[in-house]
Amino acid sequence: MEDKKIILDVKNLNTSFKSDGQVIKIIKDVSFQLEKGRSLAIVGESGCGKSVTVHSVTRLMAKNAIINSDHVIYRSYRNSEEPKEYRIDKMSNYGKEMRSLRGPEISMVFQDPMASLNPVYRVGDQIIEGLLEHNKSMSKKEAMEKAIDMLKKLGIPAPEQRVKDYPYQLSGGMKQRIVIAIAMINDPELIIADEPTTALDVTIQAQIMELMKKLQTDYNKSIILITHNMGLVTEMADDVIVMYMGRIVEKGSLRQIFSNPSHPYTKMLLSSVPVLGLEQGQKLTTIPGSTPNPADLKEGCEFAGRCPFCTDACLKGKIPGFEIEEGHMVRCLRCAGHKEVD
Amino acid sequence: MAKYIVRRLITMVIMVFVISLVIFIALQSTGVDPVGQMLGVDNYTKEAAEEMREKLGLNDPIIVQFFRWWGNIFKGEYGKSIALGYTVKDGLIAKWPATLEITLYALLISTVIGLLIGMLSAFWQNSIIDYLGRGIAVLGNSMPEYFFALILIQIFSIKLGLLPSAGRIPAGGGSRLPNLILPVCALAIPLCGNLMRYTRNTMLDVANQEYVKLARSKGIPEWKVYIKHIFRNSMRPVITILLFRLTILIGGSVAVETVFAWPGVGQVLTKAITASDYWVVMFYTLFMAIMMLSISFLIDLIGALLDPRVRLGK
Repeated sequence: MEDKKIILDVKNLNTSFKSDGQVIKIIKDVSFQLEKGRSLAIVGESGCGKSVTVHSVTRLMAKNAIINSDHVIYRSYRNSEEPKEYRIDKMSNYGKEMRSLRGPEISMVFQDPMASLNPVYRVGDQIIEGLLEHNKSMSKKEAMEKAIDMLKKLGIPAPEQRVKDYPYQLSGGMKQRIVIAIAMINDPELIIADEPTTALDVTIQAQIMELMKKLQTDYNKSIILITHNMGLVTEMADDVIVMYMGRIVEKGSLRQIFSNPSHPYTKMLLSSVPVLGLEQGQKLTTIPGSTPNPADLKEGCEFAGRCPFCTDACLKGKIPGFEIEEGHMVRCLRCAGHKEVD
Repeated sequence: MAKYIVRRLITMVIMVFVISLVIFIALQSTGVDPVGQMLGVDNYTKEAAEEMREKLGLNDPIIVQFFRWWGNIFKGEYGKSIALGYTVKDGLIAKWPATLEITLYALLISTVIGLLIGMLSAFWQNSIIDYLGRGIAVLGNSMPEYFFALILIQIFSIKLGLLPSAGRIPAGGGSRLPNLILPVCALAIPLCGNLMRYTRNTMLDVANQEYVKLARSKGIPEWKVYIKHIFRNSMRPVITILLFRLTILIGGSVAVETVFAWPGVGQVLTKAITASDYWVVMFYTLFMAIMMLSISFLIDLIGALLDPRVRLGK
């Protein structure tokens, strides 16, 4: 672990929502680490807590959310080998410290580019808003030049004209590039992309993902990608986390997850996606049932109700995670016998 | 944009004309005979009535009468009250200052307080301010203003004896302020509640938008998020209801003016209606229609200024 540069270290993150006097646990004991310059994909069905996990890390949460953790540490390796450590878990949601991280260190790209831009301001002004906030001495003109530079880097034609456009004048793909420009303008180390291509059509999806991949490799950025698109995962990710009902059920490198999926949920997830050139006549399967209501969950494995291998032991207590090979964790009793790691 | 404004203005003129025609015909067909009112029961004979009708041009076809009425309006003769013997100019227009006095204060106060509490209760959702504001809003929306007026009189004039319950000018002279307080409050509280609720709800709506989250992810402070992103985008619907209330400036409030014996246009209208004084009613109705049309035009213009999608769109 010594020579690894861990940029984000999350330990036992728990997030609950208070609603009608009831406290509902959404994220349960989520731990992961992200190395600098790598990209991590978080996959799972809708409602499995992918978004809530990263929003808990960046603290962009509604007021009724309760976030607890052993620690959430962000390390900035920007200036020297000696990292600057930030204890995000000790910061208040919209306090000064947290705000100083948002933009220059950690930034986000959201799912729907149509809704991500404020309809009443020119996109140029929206790009430089964050830049000016974190560089008080910068003039508006300088900032706008930087914004135009950024748009050029992102392959947007005629950026001098585009900055004067309003969001409604741009196409979806163009808007998402603007959103990426907003995320990149402060040169952050960690970019969190929350389903960045879900709302775009397929050809544009590929362009946007190439763009993000390029950012990651060219500028040595770290990326967390949230998606349910397995194709994107194989293209983009170095490491993969599979989540189900707010818990990490399997975690490992891309190769480990795809060549040796070991949790029944991961297996079913992968076999429900077409893989080009894999087998003639390959049949796609579906996962029976749907995700349960988080308020109704009892103890034991969250997936038990939909799992074909469910036994009595699966319905009791907390299911530990087992390390079946180095760096590959599976939270399933069928892997018992391997080393317990979580 | 200029083309749009011209087109809107032309439609407005046409609409005013059509509305006036409808009002005219509607009032003509009520079957009220103004001549009967003018002559009174004692002097009424068939011959006298016929003579009067001829003199006033009431025997002309309705369409001729209609255009004559419009012609007079352009000449600045708005008609004469039949029953009460004054001209519309003296009777109705002369009363506007009194109406403006209470309605302006009420609008001003309710706008400032309504917007402020609305914003604060959106910012501190589910706080004491929020609950208080919502309480007032429900009260203001569910109770008619004359009922408020009665409650205010009951408490402040009768029980506590602090403020006068009627009239505009105090009998013994002196400051007019005490006379103003109750009518202004009776008008302002319902308006205020409405605006408060509207501001709060639109702001909360906008606060859940994705672009607000994106603004926060830029690391800008919360007050900037609220002013630049949330409040700015909530303005359009709020301005709409704000402007629609301008009609009370002109129309006054019939109910509140009656309860407080306030000598404004609302009172004149009440009297005019009971006396089937149809020139007065017609002029008032026409004026209100023009006012409403102008306001909705204004709303569209301001909306366009606030929203680039409308401003630059086709």
